[in-house]
Order: sequence, then structure tokens, then C-alpha cells
Amino acid sequence: MALSTTFYNAFFRRNSVYVGTVFAGAFAFGIGFDLGVTKFYDTWNKGKQWKDIRQKYVQESE
Amino acid sequence: MASVHAVKTATTLAPTVRTLASGVPLPSRLNLNVKAPHDAHAHGHGAPGPRTDVQPRWAGGISRASSGLISKTYTSVSPSTHFQQRFISTSVARKDAPEVPDFSAYRTNTDSNRALSYFMIGSMGVISASAAKSSVSEFLQSMAASADVLALAKVEVDLTTIPEGKNVIIKWRGKPVFIRHRTQGEIEEARSANWKSFRDPESDDARVKKPEWLVMLGVCTHLGCVPIGEAGDYGGWFCPCHGSHYDISGRARKGPAPLNLEIPAYEFSEGDAKLTIG
Repeated sequence: MALSTTFYNAFFRRNSVYVGTVFAGAFAFGIGFDLGVTKFYDTWNKGKQWKDIRQKYVQESE
Repeated sequence: MASVHAVKTATTLAPTVRTLASGVPLPSRLNLNVKAPHDAHAHGHGAPGPRTDVQPRWAGGISRASSGLISKTYTSVSPSTHFQQRFISTSVARKDAPEVPDFSAYRTNTDSNRALSYFMIGSMGVISASAAKSSVSEFLQSMAASADVLALAKVEVDLTTIPEGKNVIIKWRGKPVFIRHRTQGEIEEARSANWKSFRDPESDDARVKKPEWLVMLGVCTHLGCVPIGEAGDYGGWFCPCHGSHYDISGRARKGPAPLNLEIPAYEFSEGDAKLTIG
């Protein structure tokens, strides 16, 4: 009850704050989603991607 | 012997009781105020009780007052207008029917539900905005140059094969590019010229990244011919079409050319060994 009221007063009472929170949340969500999916993809395909096997074929000169 | 003949006469008697419009039974010539017999048991009926034929109080009756007994009989005037038939009905008209019913008894905590509802709506908004942004950016990316186009847009030149004092012409995006490995004398000549008096004033410093390498588009700024290298009055380039002369820094010095030869975007890599144009 108290927590929900605090939430309501903090984010939902003014529409400008509400919309701003939604947009900021969308920005953060987009970045987080991208990072999460990339991390999952790299974990799932570990050892198959070029960046994992590059050192087997390319000898760094110098 | 006189005989008496009874004469039978049939008459239709008026009903002894009729009902007024107000519902009050009106028995004419019937005194309902008669008292019960003083001895209820005299004629052999059951236990004594209130009389069933006493008229109700709203129809009149006897009351006791300080002055004595008062007998009243209320008379009801039957309505002459606006007679309304009373139908049998089990419900009464509700005066508050148009109002919204009160459901507050069915609701749980309104405050927490309100915050939760706004949170769900906001989450929907977050996901929608994210999806919209993703759609737009993906659509714009589909209009960007693809990888093969980008690969063709760059040209790499090995500079170690170009000796000092020589020109190389390569093709980049369908246009010739002049690369001149300038000698020290040519550099001094390009720097010492009074460039502020030229048609398109530009210093040699602004036109090269490294003084010994001059890279520029080999398209005459007049009408687009390809100038000839190591020719002309100024030791640079000469356009055979209309006679424009460019100096060793590619600046227009004579003839109809309005501008200096254009410098493309380029950069050196791996020390001075490689030149990447584009």
C-alpha cells in the first residue's frame, strides 16, 4: 500500500513524468535487450565464431 | 272462508355492500358500530375475541374524548378525474436507476491496483516504444550501403612502389586519382608560391597530409577532362581540353579552371607504406 502509493506519486501522477519515464525505460530496455541477446548468442555459439578461433589461424606479426 | 293468497313478487335487490373507489367497503344501512352481545356464550359459539366485522379505524369509529364518546365516519369522495387503474406489480419504480451502481464493496485495495494498472500500461508503452524505435532504425539501416559497396568504395595503394618524382593514376569510384610522390624541390616550389593571389587561394599545407605525397582527383574543375601530368606552364598538370594549368600542388593557375583540383578523403596506414583512399 505504502510502496504502491510512493510509486504512484513518483512516476504516474504527472503525465510528463510518466511519458518521460516510458521513453527513458524504452532506451534502457533497447540497450539491455541488445546486450542480453548478444551475450546469449555468444554463449550459445561458443567456439564456433571467428573471434573465438581467430588465434588458431592468424599469427600476429611483430 | 276467506282464503289468503300469498302474492309472490320477485324484485331485484340492490347489493347491500359496494366498494368505493378508495377501496372502502360501503355497506349502506348497515351499522357496523353495533356492540357485541354482552353474553358471548349465550348462543353457543367459540371463544371470545375481537369482532371481525368492526370497521377499520381509518373508516371511522368511536373514540373517547374528554367530552364523551365521539363517533366519526369518514366519507371518501370517489375521484371523478384522473382515475388510475392499479395493476398488480411486485416492484416499485427506482428513482436512482440512472446512476452508476456502487461497486466499492466488490473492489479490493484501490490504491495498489491503481499503481499496478499504471505500471502495466507503462510497461506496454516501454515495449511499444522500443519496438517502434527498432523498426525505424532497422528500416534506415536497410537503406545504408551494403558491405560489398563499402568494400568497393575504398582503394588501397602500396606507396613503396612509387618512386620519387613520379605520378600514379588509379581508379577510385569511377574517377582517376593522381598520386604524386613529390621531390624536395617540388615541395619547396609549392610552398614558396604566393598562394593568396591565386584564383582559388589555398595553401599547400591545407592540400596535403604529408608534403611528399600529393593525392587529388584527376578531374579538371572546368569541364571534367582528365589533365595531363608533368605538363603545363607551372610544372604540374595541364588540361588539354581548354588549356587549364595546375601547379605542383594541383592549384589552378591559368586557363578557365575556376577551382583547384579536388582532394579526396584519404589516410596513411602501416607507417607510410599504404595509402587508403575513401
